[in-house]
Amino acid sequence: MEDIICKDLTRVYESSKRKRVFGEKIVRSVTAVDHLNLKVEEGELFGLLGPNGAGKTTTVKMLCTLLLPTSGYAEVRGLDVVKDANQVRRIVNMVAGGERMIYYRLTGRENLEYFAELYDVPKQRVKSRVSNLLELVGLKDRADDEVEKYSKGMKQRLQIARGLVNDPQVLFLDEPTIGLDVDIAKDIRQFVRKRLVDEQGKTVLLTTHYMAEAEEICDRVGFLFKGKLVALGTPSELSRMLGKFITLELVVQGATDQSVKGLSTFRDIEVVSVENVEYMGVSAFKIILHVTSDELTPQTVMHFEKSGAKVVSLNVRKPNLEDAYIHLSRRQES
Amino acid sequence: MLTSIFRGGRKANLGILRTILAEMRKNYKQFFFTYYTLFWVLILPLGNGLLYYFMYLPFTKTNISFEWLGHILNVDIIGFTLIGQLAYTFFLSTLLAGAIFDWERAQGTFEMMLLSPANRLAILLGNTFGASIRYLWLLIGTVFFFSFSFNIGILVNDFVAVFLSLLLSFLALLTFGLTLAAFSIYSRRGGLIAIACQEPVAYVSGLVVPQNALPQTLAQAGYLIPLTIGLIALRLSILGGKLLQDVQLLLVSLLIMIAVYVVLAHFLIKIAEKSAKTKGTLALF
Repeated sequence: MEDIICKDLTRVYESSKRKRVFGEKIVRSVTAVDHLNLKVEEGELFGLLGPNGAGKTTTVKMLCTLLLPTSGYAEVRGLDVVKDANQVRRIVNMVAGGERMIYYRLTGRENLEYFAELYDVPKQRVKSRVSNLLELVGLKDRADDEVEKYSKGMKQRLQIARGLVNDPQVLFLDEPTIGLDVDIAKDIRQFVRKRLVDEQGKTVLLTTHYMAEAEEICDRVGFLFKGKLVALGTPSELSRMLGKFITLELVVQGATDQSVKGLSTFRDIEVVSVENVEYMGVSAFKIILHVTSDELTPQTVMHFEKSGAKVVSLNVRKPNLEDAYIHLSRRQES
Repeated sequence: MLTSIFRGGRKANLGILRTILAEMRKNYKQFFFTYYTLFWVLILPLGNGLLYYFMYLPFTKTNISFEWLGHILNVDIIGFTLIGQLAYTFFLSTLLAGAIFDWERAQGTFEMMLLSPANRLAILLGNTFGASIRYLWLLIGTVFFFSFSFNIGILVNDFVAVFLSLLLSFLALLTFGLTLAAFSIYSRRGGLIAIACQEPVAYVSGLVVPQNALPQTLAQAGYLIPLTIGLIALRLSILGGKLLQDVQLLLVSLLIMIAVYVVLAHFLIKIAEKSAKTKGTLALF
């Protein structure tokens, strides 16, 4: 059974601006989500990936009734998100990244109790549910502290508890680990995967632009690019989309911009990224390439050595989700 | 009508009262214990009292009197400004409820409220109630302080008239605040509305200038604001010793206003929510 269905879901934002105070009004339209077709199964952890402005948050907001679609149709557990909005709100919840959406002068417990009242959680269950949630997200000891005294990670965990206060069947997580320390982000990912999906069987739609995050926990992922769904599948299926490609990661010292640019003249080599790094205290280029065969590896090394540069590190690996994503977004841009 | 307003959809009959109380509690805890609030409720009313007193004082030296439908009162300047201040500060507090929604919107919590199936008017009412109640007890304290410190010519002959004047003025101001809060959500300019309304309302309501001294059109416009009618009813019943039959027309007007403002707020909040969801202006992110 599908918990989320989108059919040609489209959202266009219109904004108007005047050049001068009494000048002509200029209306600008931006299509944030463009005829999105998507199905998410019950109990699935689905990742919606894409760069900033790809339409991830807009999609989530339409699905949890916070935004009206311009056209198309979407349903959650068989309920139309426009016509049955009130029923949809009872069975969904949303958690967004960042430190907003909670009351700083209230304690963690008071925040959850407040939202439990808004969701009309039966009175006799409010206290126990709030206590359980606080324990679940590891905030039991700090439950009666004001939120302004919480760390960033604690606020984010409280947000997750808030998102679970109505025991939603479908949970939308909009970049829930943004700006968090690596270990806290990992904890949250594990919590979502193990506790929410595997143990409680909730359907989770996660938006992120951290590819490793999606690769680690999602059952399936979809790439959203300029509002369009450009690829859909399991992380390994999408990684395999690159098929014959191999990923080369090189660290080169003493290379010139010209020699790096010279790589693009090779057939069957795609330059994925170039960044300045420091290697053993010396500045260097870290270059990621997609090549069609192993044979191109020595050729690439030779290319740099001819120009007087030195390849100090070389890593050959199979493509991952991030490689697939970069490949696809390049293709879309071109 | 009221039943349909609070029903909020066939299957969304959530605990209206719980929502109102939860909003009030949150509002009190989130906004009350700040220096800002203490300043507002303690210092500002005292300063304002002096301002209103000296603004009204010159009129006591003229032929302009306090008169309403043939009921003439000798102006007791302290009593007049005190009652005026009591009602006006309450009006200000309900005005601020709208401004609070600006904060909620920027904080992202407004979106979370609307993500829940809670009745929207109940949220609005809880917020307005919370905003008004947290000022009320300190206001009462201020009034008592003034009552004991100065000789105010209180003349009450009909306690029912006083009670109804107080109750209906309170409810009318509350529902007026509710409408403004709904409009603030729609316009996303709650703070600006709150500031822009303060001075004009102080003038046309008879707080600092007797209504008789205002140009006729302005005086008539003043009757659209519950504060004006509430002030007349309160002054007549508390300072003038007038009976229920003397103020009944005022009380009926307040009742009509309450009904009109509740209906208006109900539709405005619906329009505001739909507009925000259409334009995508529910939050700032």
